[in-house]
Amino acid sequence: MGRPRGFDETEVVRAAATLFAHRAYDGVSIDDLVTHLGVHRNSLYKTFGSKRGLYMAALRWHVEHQVRPLIATIGEARDFAEAARRALAVHGDGAALDLLLMAAVELAPTDPEVAVEVTAALDALDEALAAGDTSAPGLAGALTSALLGLRLRARTTSSGAGPEQAGAALARRLSLHDSPQS
Amino acid sequence: MARVQVDGDALVVVIEGLDKLWALKSRLTIPLSNVRGVTHDPGMIREAKGIRSPGTHLPGVITAGSFHLDDEWVFWDVQNPAKAVVIELTDERYARLVVQVDDPRATVALIEGAIPRA
Repeated sequence: MGRPRGFDETEVVRAAATLFAHRAYDGVSIDDLVTHLGVHRNSLYKTFGSKRGLYMAALRWHVEHQVRPLIATIGEARDFAEAARRALAVHGDGAALDLLLMAAVELAPTDPEVAVEVTAALDALDEALAAGDTSAPGLAGALTSALLGLRLRARTTSSGAGPEQAGAALARRLSLHDSPQS
Repeated sequence: MARVQVDGDALVVVIEGLDKLWALKSRLTIPLSNVRGVTHDPGMIREAKGIRSPGTHLPGVITAGSFHLDDEWVFWDVQNPAKAVVIELTDERYARLVVQVDDPRATVALIEGAIPRA
């Protein structure tokens, strides 16, 4: 819009994405944003219009810079075990799926614009997991759900077998019904 | 206290009760296409207000009227900061409105649902 900004907009959006991923939309106040992003309140309003405006920018940034690259590496995985390992371990704490997961739970059911972003990302994840295998049409969606569920579980507890083992077990079970070379 | 409603393609902010006197304004009508967003923001009250003209400012009691700061006009009508919403505008005399409403969550949902999306 051509008006001068006293801050790095991308950096602010990135920091906001992290904040929203950890505390959810409703759990982040404008006070929190002003404190954590180091941006003046009026600048925040002037640049993003509203808290929701900033959230949409953060969600789109997250999809483009965290989810899409993850989807690309998942697409290169040999099987679900590897895909799960990549999805949950590539970015250390697995944060590459977190804002998407939170958006799917919190805002997508009531906010159509959020729903569009979430659906597009999940569809792309489906496609990467299916990896051209059209023999079982519902399978990709089931694997995406399993992946999100594993991430949810990993966020909830650090105990137990761990997502990596769960992913491997699921892949083993799937391969029983698969072609012999897998 | 303000009553915020959507009337066709316009956002209408009606200043209620005695606030009309303090704010020296009873009604604002803004095309929805000039509304960028709305946020429930209880912390907004601690922001610098700037120079009031005209209006009323008794810190901690009432902030009402037109305030000028950093080349922007901001309209305030707030007594209870917990119920303040910030309505960001474009191409209007006011850069934003900070008004107290009965149900901030409902007001945010109403306006966000009515704003035309690009």
